[in-house]
Amino acid sequence: MSTRRLSLVSVSIARVPGVAIVLVALCAVFGLTSPGFATPANIANILTQSTILLLLALPMTVIIMTEGLDLSIGALLTFASIVLAVTVVTTGSPALAFLAALAVGFCFGLGNGVLIAVFDIPPFITTLGTLGIAQGLSLVVTDGQSVVGIPRSIENIYSGTAAGIPLPIIIAALAYAVTHMLLYHTRFGTYVFALGGNREALKVAGISVRGMLIRVYVFGGLMAGFAALLMTARLNSAHPTAGIGMEFDAIAAVAVGGTSFERGNGWLLGTLLGVIAVGVLRNGLNLLAVPSSAQVACIGALVIIALFIDGLRAER
Amino acid sequence: MTVVPLFELRGISKNFPGVKALDDVSFEIRAGEVHMLVGENGAGKSTLMKVLCGAYRADRGSFFYNGKPVTINDSSAARKFGIAVIFQDFTLVPYLNIAQNIFLGREFSGRLPGLIDRRRIHTEAKRVLDMIGFDIDPRIPVHGLGVAQQQMVEIAKALSQDARILVMDEPTASLSDRETELLFAMIARLKENGVAIIYISHRLSEVFTLGDRITVLRDGRKIASLLPAETTPDQLVTLMVGRPVDTTYTRPSRPTPGEVALEVKYLSGPAGFSDINLTVRAGEIVGLSGLVGSGRTEVARAIFGADRVTAGEIRLFGERIGGSAEDSARRGMALIPENRKTQGLALTRSVGDNIVLAGLRKLFPAGFFIPSRAMKAARTIIEKLRIATPTPRRPVATLSGGNQQKVVIGKWLNADARFYIFDEPTRGIDVGAKAEIFRLLDGLVHNGAAILMISSEQIEIVHICDRAYVMRSGRIVGELSHHELTEANIVRLGIHQ
Repeated sequence: MSTRRLSLVSVSIARVPGVAIVLVALCAVFGLTSPGFATPANIANILTQSTILLLLALPMTVIIMTEGLDLSIGALLTFASIVLAVTVVTTGSPALAFLAALAVGFCFGLGNGVLIAVFDIPPFITTLGTLGIAQGLSLVVTDGQSVVGIPRSIENIYSGTAAGIPLPIIIAALAYAVTHMLLYHTRFGTYVFALGGNREALKVAGISVRGMLIRVYVFGGLMAGFAALLMTARLNSAHPTAGIGMEFDAIAAVAVGGTSFERGNGWLLGTLLGVIAVGVLRNGLNLLAVPSSAQVACIGALVIIALFIDGLRAER
Repeated sequence: MTVVPLFELRGISKNFPGVKALDDVSFEIRAGEVHMLVGENGAGKSTLMKVLCGAYRADRGSFFYNGKPVTINDSSAARKFGIAVIFQDFTLVPYLNIAQNIFLGREFSGRLPGLIDRRRIHTEAKRVLDMIGFDIDPRIPVHGLGVAQQQMVEIAKALSQDARILVMDEPTASLSDRETELLFAMIARLKENGVAIIYISHRLSEVFTLGDRITVLRDGRKIASLLPAETTPDQLVTLMVGRPVDTTYTRPSRPTPGEVALEVKYLSGPAGFSDINLTVRAGEIVGLSGLVGSGRTEVARAIFGADRVTAGEIRLFGERIGGSAEDSARRGMALIPENRKTQGLALTRSVGDNIVLAGLRKLFPAGFFIPSRAMKAARTIIEKLRIATPTPRRPVATLSGGNQQKVVIGKWLNADARFYIFDEPTRGIDVGAKAEIFRLLDGLVHNGAAILMISSEQIEIVHICDRAYVMRSGRIVGELSHHELTEANIVRLGIHQ
């Protein structure tokens, strides 16, 4: 009887994706080593801090599912944040500033999409180029300085609460819900699976592969513009190096979450767990006073461990 | 008897630069019939079907639907008349489920704007699957399905678009016997429902068991349209190749077997075979027969060193080998794999590049690639094997199946191999090219090489091989000497009693 139960347990463990195992293990380790980890305040803190990354990781999942990549998303976040800050400081209108950030995201997304879909430039090269452009523009516009003087109304978006829940978490939850609906309940989402899995099938069905690809990258740009609002609010300023390396975290979270880089095999919930795993890791290492440079190495190790676990399961 | 055909093509001509692909071809298809389209590779079958489904525009010719003249300029026009092609390379998306694949591009709208009605997609898919008698949950993702099941999904997809004319291009090429039976049962059901099927095949047995009518193409022209009862396999082959070909290829006299080239003793491996014993001598072609899945390919890969073994030994010309494919290749062993597209060829590279690939070490001992020397070596092989390509620079993907197979063989000729394993060397190639491949094999053994040949077609084993081993469930269950080698004996050994 007991052996039977045991085997039942092992069977279900074999089905648990690597990201869940990694997340539980991380929580267990940090819960035991740092007393401040498993407190409601810290958990709320982890989730709040993960929201910006989630806003980037959601479209990154969609992009990677099309066998694409967006390296420019971190630099785009920075540039959109700077445009937002400069606009709000000069015009005094938060709404206009937010629209400006979205417009920047849209334009860069459209640029990425057109270069990739119409001119057939590989996503890696295209977005490496736009990464450079967005990062360079950020430095040019600000002369390397921070943009300060952000009004309280914007700052409140990050620090405020509604019904006791931090606003960024509500925004991120909405973004997740929207992306979920988009991916699993719309034509666009269905075609995302086909873009990565079998583009010929789309062509035969009379769907424009180019049009769909462009939309995918525009979605990425818009989400980066949206994330810029949260980041500007969080920092209460805009800084030309604030988003450097965010594309690394986003790609890592997607990979940890079990989305494959081939054949349109993606899992949105996995990305959510991957983002939280990266957030837990960063938070736990902060509590243990590990310098942030070493944290990057830990995230790299996290990716490899999670994929290793998934690989072991796949071999059976 | 005047039956108005469901669809008719009349006087179709199509030219490509330098090639007359179709020359005044007429073709008709009636509701509820299976119309076999046969011919050698390059006879124009695929071109004709591409004209029918709107992928190509004919230079001349007209179309009639139920006797009325119509035009087909693109694929959507063809779809309007219910013409659908079941592609050889499937058009399925692996991580969408069966239902989503069936209705890809034609999703039902949900109640909220912009959303799709997944439930309706599933119920409609179930209805279509029931229609063809395919009992499966439409929520299963396609990536977990076998080839035959994927093909059924393709057919369901076509029928859901109200297809009344289905074009199937060698649908059984990658199916097991059981799966083939299922497909044939489904074809019978489709016929009852009045669906017309155009069936391209290289397998003569299918042509006669399945076909209601047969049309033969050769060099872009229609040679004949006839009923299966009016002809024999031999006559059909003669029509296809334009000259009498002995389908029962007779084995020329072989040299007396020389030294032992390969000796395998008690070989077992994790791929599911055990206690394999076999020998192949120089100057011999030895068959390895048995049903698909009996472990033939696994044994071949293990002998070559491509897969791990757990017990036993392999000796090549007396020397013990084992370990790596690289080592085997260096010692003069060549494996010509079953799936030339994924395992034997770099499809996007040129014919020349592919030919020199296996002989790089020998051709360029210093390690530097010299293009002129590679070209020269490639040209020699192209001439020797009579590979139909204007230049060695042509991408291999543009050649016909038979010529691609010759490139794979040429690749190893260049490496001076002395022991060859051929895994299904004639799969998917036409009768004329088959005979040429066999002549090639014969030439190899006459020059002192030894060959182990795997084939699912017993008739080939009987006609080509000097001896044969028969496998069943991962074991060798018998060896047939020259005078015991008959189809009946192979089948008797290969099938469970």
